[in-house]
Amino acid sequence: MSQNKPTIDFGFSDVPIEEKVKKVKGVFDSVASNYDIMNDVMSLGVHRIWKRHTIELSGIRPGHVVLDLAGGTGDLTKAFAKRVGKTGRVVLADINESMVRVGRDRLINEGIVGNVDYTIANAEALAFPDNTFDLATIAFGLRNVTNKDKALEELYRVLKPGGQLMILEFSKVTQPLFAKFYDFYSFNILPKMGKLIANDEASYQYLAESIRMHPDQDTLKQMMLTAGFDKAEYLNMSEGIVALHRGWKF
Amino acid sequence: MQAQPNLALISLSKTIESVLNTAIRLDDMQGEAFKALDDNVIELTLTPIESPLYFLITHTTVSVQTTLQGEADAAIQTTLIDFASLPIQRQLPHAKLSGDTDLAQRFIDALCSLDIDWEEQLSHYTGDLIAFKVGHGIRTLLGAQTNAKQTASQTIREYLQFELEAVPVKHQVAHFCEEVQTITDEVDALEKRIQQLQQTQTST
Ligand SMILES: C[S@@+](CC[C@H](N)C(=O)[O-])C[C@H]1O[C@@H](n2cnc3c(N)ncnc32)[C@H](O)[C@@H]1O
Repeated sequence: MSQNKPTIDFGFSDVPIEEKVKKVKGVFDSVASNYDIMNDVMSLGVHRIWKRHTIELSGIRPGHVVLDLAGGTGDLTKAFAKRVGKTGRVVLADINESMVRVGRDRLINEGIVGNVDYTIANAEALAFPDNTFDLATIAFGLRNVTNKDKALEELYRVLKPGGQLMILEFSKVTQPLFAKFYDFYSFNILPKMGKLIANDEASYQYLAESIRMHPDQDTLKQMMLTAGFDKAEYLNMSEGIVALHRGWKF
Repeated sequence: MQAQPNLALISLSKTIESVLNTAIRLDDMQGEAFKALDDNVIELTLTPIESPLYFLITHTTVSVQTTLQGEADAAIQTTLIDFASLPIQRQLPHAKLSGDTDLAQRFIDALCSLDIDWEEQLSHYTGDLIAFKVGHGIRTLLGAQTNAKQTASQTIREYLQFELEAVPVKHQVAHFCEEVQTITDEVDALEKRIQQLQQTQTST
């Protein structure tokens, strides 16, 4: 591999930029079918509280048009599709075909049909016109995006004036004792569980490392403002294991 | 910035939502009465709880949430007690209706058409709420010094308390049951480690 290519973090190791996209895809290809079970196990089920809180704060209503970017297996899409009704629309967009396929099958199985579109998309280059969505969400996805600034600019662009972006993402634990527990869990228990459930220790090791490399609460808030958002704020959940950032386009 | 998510209120909205949708599924008429409310939002205030809940009705599914962009189509103000006795009383005698009052009345009628023991259902929730409040009270009492430790264990407790129902169902995990023993051992070790950390923190 050439040494003078620009590199970017892949978890704790540096890889050339174009390779990160491929590697991230590899991670999600290998976890797609076990993704939902794994999510429950690795967060002790708590990811549901985080997502529920996100849904509650969205203030979503019938008729809204929603983008669930990096939507994966469709947890948020499902909740939004129920709420926007037949007059609204939800677009589940993800870079990974396997995740979208698992998501689509699952939602159709659960009777969510008629108001959801599925599309393969890279967060850095969205194919939607300006001012399309009332609400855009990216849950546990921004961490994996190579050029986060570009993705934030794109999200701003596709929001309608008055629209809201919600970023749910692992963040920096604010409570020192809890931070110790969390480190132990992430680096000792989590990859082992990944091995047991998905037979894939490496992918879960990557997940743990990528969480630590992600910008902290204030950095991400600043990035949102720089990308053009007219207002940005965040809310820590579970001592900052996860933060919900919200940005508005006026 | 808000300090902590309001788990108590969210838990209430989630409880009401799942009770309602279960009742609709079990209903002989499959929630037919809700059809007339399709794509509408009803705001319901249940005093003494100050924050209203919003009921989004789409295609005989009811979603309940604590915030709403814009105005609801109709609003109902009543008491938690009156609401809980709705299936017996079949009316909300002191309710204040506003907005599209016909719509509000149709919503009340639709709720009456379901066979729900709200008192029983909400008592589970109240139990949770009391536990939540007591936990919170202890936290405040213990003051700033022990606050950090208390918050950490409180957080873990809240995880379990609110999310026990959310851990994967048995058959999903059956095939790796044996391996779970390994995890259990690791969690035991982890628990010991937390205790040690807590002791260190208390003694410093
Ligand atoms: C951890 S999953 C989260 C899925 C879902 N939002 C949830 O909360 O359950 C992360 C998702 O981000 C997707 N992803 C990674 N990089 C992306 C990019 N550049 N553009 C769009 N999606 C991306 C992955 O394919 C994966 O499905």
